[in-house]
Amino acid sequence: MRRFALPAVAVVAAAVLVTFPIWSSPWESSRYATGILRDMLILGILALSLDLLVGSAGMPSLGHAAYFGAGAYAAAIAGQRLGSDDLLLGLGAAILVSAFLALVIGAVAVRAGGIFFLMLTLAFAQMVFAIAFQAADITGGSNGFSGVRRPMLFGLDFNGPDALFHLVAVVFLLVLLLAWRLRSSAYGRALIGLRENERRMRALGYDTTRLKLSAFVLAGAIAGVGGALQAYSIRFVSTNDVGVARSVEAFVSVLIGGASTLVGPVVGAIVVLFIERVMPSYIAFAETVLGLVFIVFVLAARQGIVGLVRASYARVRA
Amino acid sequence: MTPETAVVQALNGISFGALLFILAAGLSLVFGMMDVVNLAHGAFYMLGAYIALTIVQRTGQFWLALVLAPLLIGALGLVIEPLLLRRLRGRHLDQVLLTIGVSLVIADLIGLTWGREIRSIPFPAGLDHAITIVGGDYPVYRLFVIAFGAALAVVLAVVHRRTRVGALIRAGVDDAPMLAALGVDIDRLFAITFAVGAALAGLAGVIAAPVFGIYPGMDVDYLIYSLVVVVVGGLGTLSGAVAGSALIGPVDTFGKVLFPQFALALIFAVMALVLLMRPTGLLGRIRIAR
Amino acid sequence: MDENSGAERRAYRLTRRRFLAVSSAAAALAACAPAATPGPSGASVAPTATPGPPLKIGMLLPFTKVYAELGNSMQRATKLYLKQKGDALANRPVTVIYEDEANDPVVGAQKTQKFIDSDRVDLMMGIVATPIAYAVRNAIDAAKLIFIETNAGGNALTRTTTDCKPSCKSKYIFRSSFSSYQISYPIGEYFATQKGVKEVFTFVADYGFGNESAADFTSGFTKGGGKITGSLKAPLGSADFLPFVTQLKGQQTKDIYSFFSGTDAINYIKAWTQLGMTASGYKMNGAGFLTEQDVLKEVGDQANGATTSLFWAVTLDNAENKAFVDAYQKEYSLLPDVFAVQAWDGMQAVDLALQAVKGDTSNKDAFIAALENVKFKSPRGDFEFDKETHNPIQDIYIREVKVQSGQAVNTIVGKVARVTDPGK
Repeated sequence: MRRFALPAVAVVAAAVLVTFPIWSSPWESSRYATGILRDMLILGILALSLDLLVGSAGMPSLGHAAYFGAGAYAAAIAGQRLGSDDLLLGLGAAILVSAFLALVIGAVAVRAGGIFFLMLTLAFAQMVFAIAFQAADITGGSNGFSGVRRPMLFGLDFNGPDALFHLVAVVFLLVLLLAWRLRSSAYGRALIGLRENERRMRALGYDTTRLKLSAFVLAGAIAGVGGALQAYSIRFVSTNDVGVARSVEAFVSVLIGGASTLVGPVVGAIVVLFIERVMPSYIAFAETVLGLVFIVFVLAARQGIVGLVRASYARVRA
Repeated sequence: MTPETAVVQALNGISFGALLFILAAGLSLVFGMMDVVNLAHGAFYMLGAYIALTIVQRTGQFWLALVLAPLLIGALGLVIEPLLLRRLRGRHLDQVLLTIGVSLVIADLIGLTWGREIRSIPFPAGLDHAITIVGGDYPVYRLFVIAFGAALAVVLAVVHRRTRVGALIRAGVDDAPMLAALGVDIDRLFAITFAVGAALAGLAGVIAAPVFGIYPGMDVDYLIYSLVVVVVGGLGTLSGAVAGSALIGPVDTFGKVLFPQFALALIFAVMALVLLMRPTGLLGRIRIAR
Repeated sequence: MDENSGAERRAYRLTRRRFLAVSSAAAALAACAPAATPGPSGASVAPTATPGPPLKIGMLLPFTKVYAELGNSMQRATKLYLKQKGDALANRPVTVIYEDEANDPVVGAQKTQKFIDSDRVDLMMGIVATPIAYAVRNAIDAAKLIFIETNAGGNALTRTTTDCKPSCKSKYIFRSSFSSYQISYPIGEYFATQKGVKEVFTFVADYGFGNESAADFTSGFTKGGGKITGSLKAPLGSADFLPFVTQLKGQQTKDIYSFFSGTDAINYIKAWTQLGMTASGYKMNGAGFLTEQDVLKEVGDQANGATTSLFWAVTLDNAENKAFVDAYQKEYSLLPDVFAVQAWDGMQAVDLALQAVKGDTSNKDAFIAALENVKFKSPRGDFEFDKETHNPIQDIYIREVKVQSGQAVNTIVGKVARVTDPGK
């Protein structure tokens, strides 16, 4: 019986999440809350993809928004250029473009490690930003890309905020599922091996460069999916979406929530977005709070929120 | 581009490089000697600029600001290192997160204290005129910056190479327990080094702000410049910062007027190119330990 | 869950009741007290004993990041206007909800949704950055939310465009600031036809606003018979302007037309001075933001002689502007800037339109018609909206920087009257 407890809880939680707009509709601000939660899930997808690199493989990337934004632009531009609302087309374009970009950049970046890798990923992300900014004919440049078409799938219209939320929530859960399966797979364990001791992995016969590159591309592709969802959400793509601030947002979400845990990046995304987007309506020093949260977590809760919860749970049980 | 213009642009490039060096020196020091990733470097720079702004507004004395601002920021560094960074030795990711946090706090507090207006520091009297070079005016301040940058490089090199402090810090990075066993207070040494790095950032704030300006978000912009310079030049050596700024300064200056379409991405493209050819930067030495 | 929503609704109603009580008391007091500061010309309402329902205005402005100063300036003007009106417009007590656009369209979109879904505002104002305005245009139009744009000057926001790219006008969107065309095209034509300028070299910030300004100036100038001899662009937020000004000095055309604002404008002017451009015969010209008060307060007399075009200057000699500048200075010990004027005029337009519909915002079409018909004397001169585009019809002043009473200000040296945006 106990074996089914956890999966059952997970299924129920998933259902609750996906149907949030429906059961929350009596609340006065439910539509707004749906939007905030949707943004949190999108950042959660980005953070989960980044955790593949930062958490599992030990590759700290500070330029991950490049693939997120590339996916957003790809979905938006493909939809407009091909005159199509098809969701699969948009997501497909997003995955293709962001994966390809990650392949090209990764081929160069993964040769480096540690701080050099950090800097290279940042540098390449800034170059992607510059391209998005300059290529105004394609991307809209500094004015952004407006008029992103509403996505449709087999006649189902995802334009309304509720429908869009269902879509984002479902994709989010699929990404979470993927992350969960990866963790227990041989591939996932190989990535962790990379983080623990790369030289030993090589000695064991792994092509570590190939491994790192594959992780980089996979992480980029998932980030691209997140970007496409954001493009559909606000029906706009701006250069902010490939910017440093977005990359740092994802990075700190992973670390705050708990790197290399399953839900850590998501929890971190929720906390970071809450402080960044909801708190400023009520206090003038939200950025200070955010900074203090980072400081406190590094000093007191190294394993992030998830680690903190686990530790206190263990203490309670003991 | 006429020969006269080219000469002036060369001076522009060198002086921009000098500004970049002064900006990046503190980061290079902290990173190269202490192996600490200090992403609050831009915030220290910003704070130095704002402190200088207040001093210049109240007293009109730029030179007072040049002395006082670094001292104050250095004091801040002296507090931050033992309080927050000491236990994170060797843990780069944690240092990144912590220093991002410090940066956010400092930048927000600056906004809440000084306001978020666009400000500027006027060039100091005595250095705000121009002299004639190749038949045209050239601002003396930029020449001052070149001289200052060169002097700073020499001072730092001497301290690093010739003094006992420099040797101790180098030793401390390589083998801290050994140094402790020899009776050296490694903690105090590192705190002082970090304080000097912070003070240098504050110094850059005073020198560079009259050229670059003061505005919300300047901490991020100039942190990125510093990182690029340090990485291009090579980590692990102080001369790396010199090499990095000497390359980026002129390349960026000529590049953005000759190839304006690539102006935004230029320094990042240069960085990527350098790292492709020399993965540890121009003068970097490969670190053996992980 | 039902309890929850009930409690929320109860709390909401209680707040409204409390608010009504407080504001009616305030209104009664205000009716007894003598007028403290002169308000703008136009009918002022004496508060009666029973105020109307509260009016909620959502104001989206930057309070952090690079444009924070503009947001603060607009907030100051808004607060001052409301203070002069006893915090009530057309007899309705006003609450303004301020939110930070943080220079990010994603944040701007989220805060706009907050105004629409959570705060349920009666109307929305603000938005400094053009990309953010473009990003939320469709959401505002779909929600039928009346929006007064108080800064972003992207031409497309009040024009008919193909496929609404990058944006297009909406019947619900009004603009109380300007279109980039209005501050760039007229001065181009003016230079060619009135000032006898034959050649100009353009140097602008390389982003939407800068490029639009260069293009519109070029149109106006070439239409008047002038010739653009070349152009240079600087990345937005360039650290070092000296290389660019060096290039300017290396070419022959003396008249330079520029678009920069904020820190870029300050750094540009300082570099210009450092290389002795004016002494070498070069002339600085540009769109008004190049020498607005936020820039002049930092560069002082270094911009002397610069000729720019804008729909306002702090030295503008009319009764409304004098009253506005005096009131603003008395309240904040600061000179107002054009951003404050934009917000001020936005509030005034809303005020007058509200009075015309007797405070009834439920009939949107009537309110829109009322807005379309407002005409008043603003600090910038005669203000009205173009009924086609909802962009202001306004006089564009040709200004020159001079030092007066120890402060660098823009003085009026010419005017292009009643400029309206072409609308497509």
